Amino acid sequence: MSNLLAARAQMGTSLAFHIIFSALGVGIPLLLCIVEGLALRTKNPVWMMLTRRWARAAAILFAIGAVSGTILSFELGLLWPTYTKFAGAVIGLPFMLEGFAFFTEAIFLGLYLYGWDRLSPRAHWLCSFPIWISGLASAWFIVSANSWMNTPAGFVIKHGKIVDINPLQAIFNPSTPYETVHMILACYVATGFAVAAVYAFAFLRGKRSEYYRKGLMVGILMAVIATPLQMVSGDFNARYLADYQPVKFAAMEGVVHTEQGVPLKIGGLADPNTGQIHYAIEIPNGLSLLAYLNPDATVKGLDQVPREDWPNVLLVHSSFDGMVGSGLFGLLVAVLFWGLYWFKKRTFPENRLLLWGIVLAGPLAFLAVELGWMVTELGRQPWVIYGYLRTKDAVTTAPWLNISFSIFSLVYILLAAALIWLLRQVARRPLPQVKAVGEGYQVIEPNIVDAEEVGV
Amino acid sequence: MDVALVALIILWWALITYAVLGGADFGAGVWDLFAVGRLADRQRNLINHALGPVWEANHVWLIFLIVGLFNVFPAAFATLSIALFLPFTLALLGIVLRGAAFIYRYYAINSKGRFARLWGRVFSVSSLLTPFFLGASAAAVASGKLLPPNGIADATYIVSLISPFALTIGAMAVTLCATIAAVYLTIEARDTEHDKELAESYRLKALIAGAVTAILGALGLGLSSVESPILWHGMLIRAWPVVIITMIIGLATATTLYARYYSTARVLIIAETAFMLGAWGLAQYPYIVPINYTISNSANAPNVITAVLISLACGMIIVIPSLYYLFSVFKLPYPAPGLQRSANEQIEPQQKGAAS
Ligand code: HDD
Ligand code: HEM
Ligand code: HEM
Repeated sequence: MSNLLAARAQMGTSLAFHIIFSALGVGIPLLLCIVEGLALRTKNPVWMMLTRRWARAAAILFAIGAVSGTILSFELGLLWPTYTKFAGAVIGLPFMLEGFAFFTEAIFLGLYLYGWDRLSPRAHWLCSFPIWISGLASAWFIVSANSWMNTPAGFVIKHGKIVDINPLQAIFNPSTPYETVHMILACYVATGFAVAAVYAFAFLRGKRSEYYRKGLMVGILMAVIATPLQMVSGDFNARYLADYQPVKFAAMEGVVHTEQGVPLKIGGLADPNTGQIHYAIEIPNGLSLLAYLNPDATVKGLDQVPREDWPNVLLVHSSFDGMVGSGLFGLLVAVLFWGLYWFKKRTFPENRLLLWGIVLAGPLAFLAVELGWMVTELGRQPWVIYGYLRTKDAVTTAPWLNISFSIFSLVYILLAAALIWLLRQVARRPLPQVKAVGEGYQVIEPNIVDAEEVGV
Repeated sequence: MDVALVALIILWWALITYAVLGGADFGAGVWDLFAVGRLADRQRNLINHALGPVWEANHVWLIFLIVGLFNVFPAAFATLSIALFLPFTLALLGIVLRGAAFIYRYYAINSKGRFARLWGRVFSVSSLLTPFFLGASAAAVASGKLLPPNGIADATYIVSLISPFALTIGAMAVTLCATIAAVYLTIEARDTEHDKELAESYRLKALIAGAVTAILGALGLGLSSVESPILWHGMLIRAWPVVIITMIIGLATATTLYARYYSTARVLIIAETAFMLGAWGLAQYPYIVPINYTISNSANAPNVITAVLISLACGMIIVIPSLYYLFSVFKLPYPAPGLQRSANEQIEPQQKGAAS
């Protein structure tokens, strides 16, 4: 494995791992805030049971999010020093602001997770607001930095030196509004479906109490709000790409020659060297219509750049289809659930097929997030900063990168295995007895007698 | 006073804060390794309890440092990332495994089980590795021999990393973290756990670790006269008063600790670390990465640094009060807004009485 490939593989694995906890790190605090708010207002102990259980799982997920995020900050320097030198000079500001967002999030997380007995119920609930707001801010800043990589702005190159740097222009580069909105919605879609999937699975295994129904309803509610918005945002993204990142758009849609009235190709596999897509469902003039609302509009093909500057059409096209497909499946399941719910006069739909659909929609939503980032990052290849710095020139001169990649992959497998084992234990724990007392709640966590080995 | 210098001073304070807060976490991990014998379980519970709420907030200062460095001195950061590839990767592995191990042990339901003991071992060993590699890297940078003669960073050029000077400073970093942690834990044991015997055991550990740190510090100073001329001359011209103050504070820490004035000992150990790192900074001025990268030739454009400083100020306006609130709710003894109303205060001590 060449040094460059090992570096790209390690960066890709690190981000693919981190994004799962990032999406949950942005989504779960909002759910916690909603559920704890309901617990305080309705005095129904089931809401507080949900809050307590989710807070315990969230603590573990945030810690891994923080740890995997730290790896990324080191890796930007360790693997891509030339990129960091270039980006540090121009787009360093959002990384700094992102640092503050993490800091506030980590502080109020400490208060929220360990302050149950010390803080009054209202103060404890108020602590959840800075968490989801700063989670949102951290996502916005970091994705604006990534957007800058896709459409660099805010600097000028004069005989090889970066001059006239304008940090604000760099943050508000053309891609920022599109990518940040799409990413934040993706976090809510993924979190909503993940929570719904967990409780749908429990429901199918016979756990039918109010606790499980309420958990599922909150999750699928977030999903049914965020997913349609995500489709709209995705559509804007795609149309925006046609003008600002034509090569990525061409790779996504498998358009080889610049021509008029280009057909829309759904599915199918791209042949890596020719870029042609085979066995796809073709809708004549579909792409021109979708991108420019004019069936005869010209769509720039991959022939606008030399052959060696083409991104990997196979992966980018399939990732794009996978993302859109998973998103549509999720939307279908969520709409069906709420349709049945309203149609049957607000009774909880218990159709087994639908519940299995919700269980499937969870992992699929995360697949959409991963594939979405593959579209963005692989679609930008062979550049790391589009048009200015190629990926192969940004990689570090240090050897042993394949060893580093294997060590970090092992670390990630270790982290994932231990995490799943632990989350299953948290899920297996009997529910806490919760009693409304005065303004807040009296919660007695069942302590497991050590002898009684739970789980494994 | 140009903007880059202001930024560098702020970054140095972030380094000191990380050493004092993050360093204590690593030190606690080291004591977790040495928690044997009769007091072992009580010591481990104390460490778990003391670290819980503040773990993540302490660790973010390191990220702040990295981002600050590549914001203000991008060229120097790129060179450091290549030249220190090996120690930084190992330090990173330590941080990662340590962070994950702590969480898994803290949340493992069955704290006696194989799972918790395994991750407990990973936690303490990685708490030992990271400060060592960070200390060794700092020494390699300060020695001025980090870059090969041609001045182009090379990850395989590790002669300055395995020099006696670097190894001594690395070891000193570990014992310094252990001393800081031991002093914090004496106070934690006395104030929250009300466990005299535990406080005594940590007082003893703090004294021993403090003595070892002093010896290693003196050895490092001696070695630097031979191995890192830049640092030594910087020390002689500019930083010698700070070095002397560091030694005086060191003695003061030992005496207050011996006399059981633990709260003053905590303040003094923090001052000790601050002056020690201050002395290094002053001695190495104006170099970022000696001889090739100075503040002036590797600083970013002034308008960018001003933008960073402004965002720093806005960020601090949010972070400092929240951090203060975090510490006041968990660590400081006086009431803070939002705490349980006094009605619950009576229940708490009573519960505590029933629990212990
Ligand atoms: C869409 C959101 C998103 C994306 C694309 C990224 N992150 Fe992230 N990151 C978060 C959203 C997030 C978060 C939700 O804010 C986390 C997860 C859990 C947490 O505590 O904060 C986080 C944690 C986190 C931390 C630890 C903060 C702490 O200790 O709490 C660091 C240093 C980073 N990230 C750095 C990065 C870097 C260098 C990235 C890209 C190369 C990156 N993140 C991509
Ligand atoms: C969090 C979600 C993200 C995921 C899943 C992701 C995924 C990936 C993948 C798969 C690669 C390897 C692609 C290739 O090199 O062929 C990559 C590379 C890279 N990414 Fe991202 N990315 C994400 C966000 C970001 C962000 C926010 C940044 C920086 C602000 C970033 C910076 C980079 C850099 C510097 C590289 C290496 C250069 C390159 O390969 O283009 N990524 N990422
Ligand atoms: C009809 C549906 C969708 C369309 C048309 C669509 C379109 C796009 C496009 C064009 C990009 C690339 C943007 C860029 O590189 O600047 C993208 C990226 C992305 N998509 Fe989608 N998307 C859809 C649904 C979804 C869903 C359901 C999810 C997740 C649940 C998702 C998650 C992502 C993520 C995480 C990225 C990478 C981050 C970013 O660039 O903002 N997308 N999407």
